[in-house]
Amino acid sequence: MVQYNFKRITVVPPGKDFIDIILSRTQRQTPTVVHKGYSISRIRQFYMRKVKYTQSNFYEKLSTVIDDFPRLDDIHPFYGDLLHVLYNKDHYKLALGQINTARNIIAKIAKDYLRLLKYGDSLYRCKCLKVAALGRMCTVIKRISPSLAYLEQIRQHMARLPSIDPNTRTLLICGYPNVGKSSFMNKITRADVDVQPYAFTTKSLFVGHADYKYLRYQVIDTPGILDRPFEDRNIIEMCSITALAHLRAAVLFFLDISGSCGYSIAQQAALFHSIKSLFMNKPLVIVCNKTDLQPLENLSEEDMKLVMEMKAEAMKTLGHGGEANEEGVLLTMSTLTEEGVMAVKNAACERLLDQRVEIKMKSKKINDCLNRFHVAMPKPRDNKERPACIPQAVLDARASAAAAKEKKKLERKLEKDLENENGGAGVYSASLKKHYLLADDEWKEDILPEILDGHNVADFLDPDILQRCEELEREEGLRLEEEAAQEAFQIDGHELTEEQREILGQIRKKKALLIQEHRMKKRTAESRPIVPRKFDKDRTFTTNRMGRQLSSMGFDPSAAMDRACSRSRGRKRERSLSRAASDGDDMDIDGQQSSKKLRALSRSRSRSKSRPSEEVVPGEGFKDSAQKKKAIKKAKDSVRNRNKEARRGEADRVIPTLKPKHLFSGKRSIGKTSRR
Amino acid sequence: MRLEKCWFCSSTIYPGHGIQFVRNDAKIFRFCRSKCHKNFKMKRNPRKVKWTKAYRCLHGKDMTQDSTFEFERKRNRPERYDRNVTAQTLKAIPLITKIRHERHKKHITERQKQGKTKQRERDAKELEQDIQMLPKKDTMLSTQKTKVVVKVSQQQTEENLMEE
Repeated sequence: MVQYNFKRITVVPPGKDFIDIILSRTQRQTPTVVHKGYSISRIRQFYMRKVKYTQSNFYEKLSTVIDDFPRLDDIHPFYGDLLHVLYNKDHYKLALGQINTARNIIAKIAKDYLRLLKYGDSLYRCKCLKVAALGRMCTVIKRISPSLAYLEQIRQHMARLPSIDPNTRTLLICGYPNVGKSSFMNKITRADVDVQPYAFTTKSLFVGHADYKYLRYQVIDTPGILDRPFEDRNIIEMCSITALAHLRAAVLFFLDISGSCGYSIAQQAALFHSIKSLFMNKPLVIVCNKTDLQPLENLSEEDMKLVMEMKAEAMKTLGHGGEANEEGVLLTMSTLTEEGVMAVKNAACERLLDQRVEIKMKSKKINDCLNRFHVAMPKPRDNKERPACIPQAVLDARASAAAAKEKKKLERKLEKDLENENGGAGVYSASLKKHYLLADDEWKEDILPEILDGHNVADFLDPDILQRCEELEREEGLRLEEEAAQEAFQIDGHELTEEQREILGQIRKKKALLIQEHRMKKRTAESRPIVPRKFDKDRTFTTNRMGRQLSSMGFDPSAAMDRACSRSRGRKRERSLSRAASDGDDMDIDGQQSSKKLRALSRSRSRSKSRPSEEVVPGEGFKDSAQKKKAIKKAKDSVRNRNKEARRGEADRVIPTLKPKHLFSGKRSIGKTSRR
Repeated sequence: MRLEKCWFCSSTIYPGHGIQFVRNDAKIFRFCRSKCHKNFKMKRNPRKVKWTKAYRCLHGKDMTQDSTFEFERKRNRPERYDRNVTAQTLKAIPLITKIRHERHKKHITERQKQGKTKQRERDAKELEQDIQMLPKKDTMLSTQKTKVVVKVSQQQTEENLMEE
């Protein structure tokens, strides 16, 4: 079957583009380099090739145009007429004819110039010949450019035509404008046709598809037709007429019985009669639409008569007299309320199907179809019964098994019975223990601990535990004996006695105290340059105290105390003979004299006299000793406070950081090792 | 119902105590208290944490090998109940526990023996060296008690003087 698909037609370029395409292709696909020095045959060949190539390209391109466009005589008459109506057959043929002529002219030009090129005697002349040839070809194309433009327009329009298959099952909807054809179409198919309340909303054919009895039906919506002579009809109406004339379809003639479309029933009947020749040999259904506005029964006498007349005509269309039944011919519906819409569709489809089947039955092809069907109906071979066979042994076995089961059920006391005896559901609780499998039935009710002294009893369970226990005890006994023997041998001579331990405790206590004191000293007094009185508030470092300490340790402190006292110098420094004389027997008097007296007598050892600090030494820069004194005093004053608070001064020793961390670690992203 | 062992510190977990964590590979971790659970969550290794059983065993603090340990072992195969065996077991458990405790005690004393002797030596040496830190009379009192009672006090002072 021929598929009518006009979407595949290749694009027809306008004249100018056509030329550009061909020439640029020539430029790209043929050699471009030629020199004067080449042999003349080579030069000739170069240009001949160009001309020939251009011509063949033109030929090819034009041929595709001619082949792609359908020939109106070859396609289905429906399409032929439709295209004629839409595009004017004469114009169409003329355009294609022009293209065909152009193709031939170009071929001729190429032939002429190739012949001339054969006699070209220089590169220049050959080139001129080539230019002339191509120029003439282009001129030809330029001349047919209006035709090309026309064909391009047609192509675009054709691509948008609905793809109607003229041979398939088709429902054709026709009638006056504005009678509800498109509304019906929208109701029964999924096509979304524009519906508006004015005439000629539909300007061309529209196609939708509907299903009936699992078959697909093509539904064609046509523009409205007016009742006027054939010649006066416009293109839009002619589309419908073409469709009516050429498609083998069920025709639905729509009548608006309410007259709201602007045409009376009489006018519509007139149209029906004028185009009834188009309905011949087609199932025709007259559809009375818009029953929601006016039911069929309420029509006036005359109108009713007209409708009945049309019905009578419609019955005749199939050509077999009155054999068609009446019910499928005149139908009423309302697309607004959807009342009777499906009935109309079904009736139309049914009638179409009947007609098509009838035609097929009459045709020669019926034999091909019939041998495809086969319905198998198995017949009984004879009157004998053939039931399923079960051996007697099996039946017996089944019976005995059932009996045994029954018997067992009677014998055994079930848990259910127990429950009923002991107070029923909710009261009775089944004991799981009675199903235990133990050596002695008495054991079933035993209660036993799971945990004992922080151990799992189950972890110790062992059939021969008694034996193992005995073994362990024996082992333990042996061990104890051994231990006892060892202890007897061991001589522990190093043990300290009670007293020794006490003394050791005291020693340790003393040591701890010393350490503590030392630490305190280290923390406070020792780190300070001098110990001002205010830090030695509790007078820890006194002579008396030393004496007490010494005596507590069992020494006689008097000598030490005396010596300490004698160290302190008197106010006056003098050198006396008597003192020097008595120095020798100092030891003898010790112990007899009182300490106070001794202190009064005591004197320091003589010292060599040194230079007084305030004496001016040349080179120090002082004017006189008064000035130096002042300066010394000032210097002392300046550090006094700092020293009192044990702060660090400029005279203190400073050890600088020898290797500063920041200079000796890390990567050197910025700076150097020495300077960062 | 069973007594379980804590995964971290190996202490006994009584029913209703502790918390249990089931990893997505179905391994079960039981913890006796939140302390152990937290330590686990901190990814601490129980062998490196001093207060756990694992650490003590690893460092020889506890007794690890003993015949008493062989009595207690988890049985994965169910045994059929036997009254006699159970009765014997129940009697045996305290006995075994007692013996184990004894041995454990022994183990600890053995372990501490070395340190004790060292300590003793140190004490003796200290006593000998630092005895003069104390007042002499104190040391005399303790060492030569019997003698001092009889002697006259003058002799003592004399001695003191001599020392000086």
